[in-house]
Amino acid sequence: MTVFWQLVLNGLMLGGLFAIISVGLTLIFGIIRLVNFAHGELLMVGMYATFLLTTQLGVHPYALAPPVVLLLFVVGVLIQRFILQPLLEARDHHVQIFATVGLSTALINLALLLFGADIHSTPAYGARTALSFGPFRILTGHVVMFVAGILVVGGLHLFLQRTYLGRAIRATAQHRHAAQLMGIDINRIYIITFGIGAACVGLAATLVAPMYPVSPTVGTYFVLTAFVVVVLGGMGSLHGAFIGALIIGLVDSLSGYYIAPDLKEVVIFAIFLLILLVRPTGLFGLGRGSE
Amino acid sequence: MNDGKLAAFGLDKRGAILVALLLAAILAIPLGVRSDFVFHIFITICLYGALSTAWNIVGGFAGQLSLGHAIFYGLGAYTAGLLVPYGISPWFGMFAGAALSAVVAVLISVPCFRLRGPFFALATIAFLEVVFQLALHFKGITGGAVGLMVPLQIGWEWMIFREREPSLLIAFGLLLLTLLVAGWIRHSRFGYYLIATREREPAAQAAGIDSLKVRLWAVAISAALTSMVGTFHGMYLTFIEPEAMFSLTLSIQIAMFALIGGIGTVLGPLLGTLLVVPLTELARGWLGASAIGLHGFIYGTVLVLIVLFMPDGLVGFFTRKTHPRPDEAAAQPGALQASAGALVHDPAEPEEARTIGEPILVAEKLNKAFGGLRVAQDLDLTVQQGEVLGIIGPNGAGKTTLFNMLSGFLPPDSGVVRVRDRNGQWVTPGSPHEFARIGVGRTFQIVQPFAAMTVLENIMVGAFHHHAGRKEAREKALEVAERMGLWAQRDMEARNLTIGGQKRLEVARVMATEPRILLLDEVMAGLNQTDIRQAITLIEKIRDAGVTVIAIEHVMQAIMALSDRVVVLNSARLLANGKPEDVVRDPAVIEAYLGEEFVHAAA
Repeated sequence: MTVFWQLVLNGLMLGGLFAIISVGLTLIFGIIRLVNFAHGELLMVGMYATFLLTTQLGVHPYALAPPVVLLLFVVGVLIQRFILQPLLEARDHHVQIFATVGLSTALINLALLLFGADIHSTPAYGARTALSFGPFRILTGHVVMFVAGILVVGGLHLFLQRTYLGRAIRATAQHRHAAQLMGIDINRIYIITFGIGAACVGLAATLVAPMYPVSPTVGTYFVLTAFVVVVLGGMGSLHGAFIGALIIGLVDSLSGYYIAPDLKEVVIFAIFLLILLVRPTGLFGLGRGSE
Repeated sequence: MNDGKLAAFGLDKRGAILVALLLAAILAIPLGVRSDFVFHIFITICLYGALSTAWNIVGGFAGQLSLGHAIFYGLGAYTAGLLVPYGISPWFGMFAGAALSAVVAVLISVPCFRLRGPFFALATIAFLEVVFQLALHFKGITGGAVGLMVPLQIGWEWMIFREREPSLLIAFGLLLLTLLVAGWIRHSRFGYYLIATREREPAAQAAGIDSLKVRLWAVAISAALTSMVGTFHGMYLTFIEPEAMFSLTLSIQIAMFALIGGIGTVLGPLLGTLLVVPLTELARGWLGASAIGLHGFIYGTVLVLIVLFMPDGLVGFFTRKTHPRPDEAAAQPGALQASAGALVHDPAEPEEARTIGEPILVAEKLNKAFGGLRVAQDLDLTVQQGEVLGIIGPNGAGKTTLFNMLSGFLPPDSGVVRVRDRNGQWVTPGSPHEFARIGVGRTFQIVQPFAAMTVLENIMVGAFHHHAGRKEAREKALEVAERMGLWAQRDMEARNLTIGGQKRLEVARVMATEPRILLLDEVMAGLNQTDIRQAITLIEKIRDAGVTVIAIEHVMQAIMALSDRVVVLNSARLLANGKPEDVVRDPAVIEAYLGEEFVHAAA
């Protein structure tokens, strides 16, 4: 029984990790209606930035959150302004899909060119130290991620509900053209939203970096799970992403132990396909899944 | 090839010569230069060109962006590779793999085709990941992460060679095969059906197209071709591993090449490959082997640039810049003079013409509710052959809902719609395309042109219903275009028509299917007086040719002039049914339309 509860605990902690990675993805989808296939590569960029700054400056990775978040915000703003905004009124879905797919491919391979295919470990500064609670053990870094995940989701929720800018963002999400008629500069809203989504990934990167080594394809590894989380929770729903992340974390942890470690991804993707086909709006979706 | 055969591939003489030269160059350059490096580049070009051309049948023609096509590539390689140790030639394995891939593709696609755009792409990625992980897991079969060596038996029988020439020939043959299949599909009825389904699924169904079936055929053909290329590539590499065979990167690359060259065009995928593969290989040679990631970086960057600056790819860019569409239709006005006189030719059945006769369509006790909102309550309707039935009613009365039930787009909660077929049998069609096939044609209130097609091609989609050949469908479509006053605009893209033109196109497309019963949903809304008078004349001629017409209309002038009978709907119920002049005097009708006060004022 101890094993089971330890696995549940592991799963929830893993869920915290998935949540903080997925939050930006679901925000960007919910507001801009764009599936960002380059989301994982933003994480990769953030993790390399954290790795380089930590090793070069000898600073704790958590202390790098402000500069990395700012860096990713700027990267996000540039991507939206110069790549995605010109495609906003495009006739077909496929140009937007391919713009982010192309960006993803270019970034992965740029990282390969600059850093090689080897993995690099960021110094952990205690993040990989285990805390003991009776028979159970958790890594400090996982606790930090879990708490940060709750804070980010809660903070974004308050921001969208309570501030003027947040309301403008929600209005734009609900009806782009009506929002324009109300005097909202939707291009600016989209740029800010993409910036915020990318900044969330920046924060995630500084928290993930001390826990997992970075490589050019690290983003692909995490983003596929993030897509599952976001679709399960309902594309565009912040609390849906959080709950979806916890569920997937649990599935990952339990199926890895009780089925087979190398089949846990099959289980996760089977759930993904099931949700897409049976209930594409997810658990808390906006009802637009099949579009 | 004679001109007729060329036309079947959409080529004129000049185009055919250019394509032949291009293909000859792909074969001649490596055979002339005879360096291993050049052989490698051109074999790679042929393979990726073939993969991308095959992908484009689904991704381009059918508009379903699969990012999981490596599944079929890997299945092809593994099927053949696993049969070789049993002494079975990969030439057989190639077809076994193709058949397996086609079946797997259909099984995957039946559920996935309900998803659109990015969600379809995500689902295909998920399927690919599942297959990849399973391939890693079942080491006994696939060799797991270590992979499998293909036994090195040299010779044509085993598809493995010491020299490069035979491999180039096979790769080139595969490229040629996929190009021929893609070219044939694009310019056949099947291709028109695929593109119509991609552009506007409801309108395609209304033209009698079984949209799921055509898409499944497309994915089966595409998967089979992809699989055949996979078989050869596995033999060429003599090494098969899940990582390389079921690779997301490969899936993305073949889609990329198609997009760069021109998605949905026959030659685009090959042109994209021809641009990007040599570019990256040369850059790699120039910067040295240490520059890993360089080719991917170039692919990604070129893709983003193409999407931003020439979204129609290389093909779209050049066809727009160099030569405008050749106006081939203008060359044959003679064929049209003959039919120009008869406004509606092809009366569905001679004996059906003229008089109002037996019932041809019957709706019994139709009920429909959306949640708590009842949009049809016990609707009974009998339509006589040859009559013009006008349906009027205030906004929200349930007129379009009734149409949707009469044409199969909306299954009623209860009740039944029966139609008398050409042999006099009463049948209940089950889906929009079955309604269309039995002769119930409809237009849409909100026009649904196939935007990327020309006006003529739009009408051809309808004409294919009775004319399987491209040439006959085209003649029929030209004739309909002339009758519907769309002759001058026939080579315009449908999206550029005026609203009046698009309304006429709606009617033209459905008339080209030669319906026996025509449902017109507010075809006169938004037209000016001249256009309305023309439309009235047109509907009279359609009626005189024996077609039964049911028209929803708000233009009372048209309803009064045309209808033999008028039905009034109000709040989901049938309010009145009778001769037009009687119905408009009915106080209940006046009240429904104009309010209670008006009735009192009139009295």
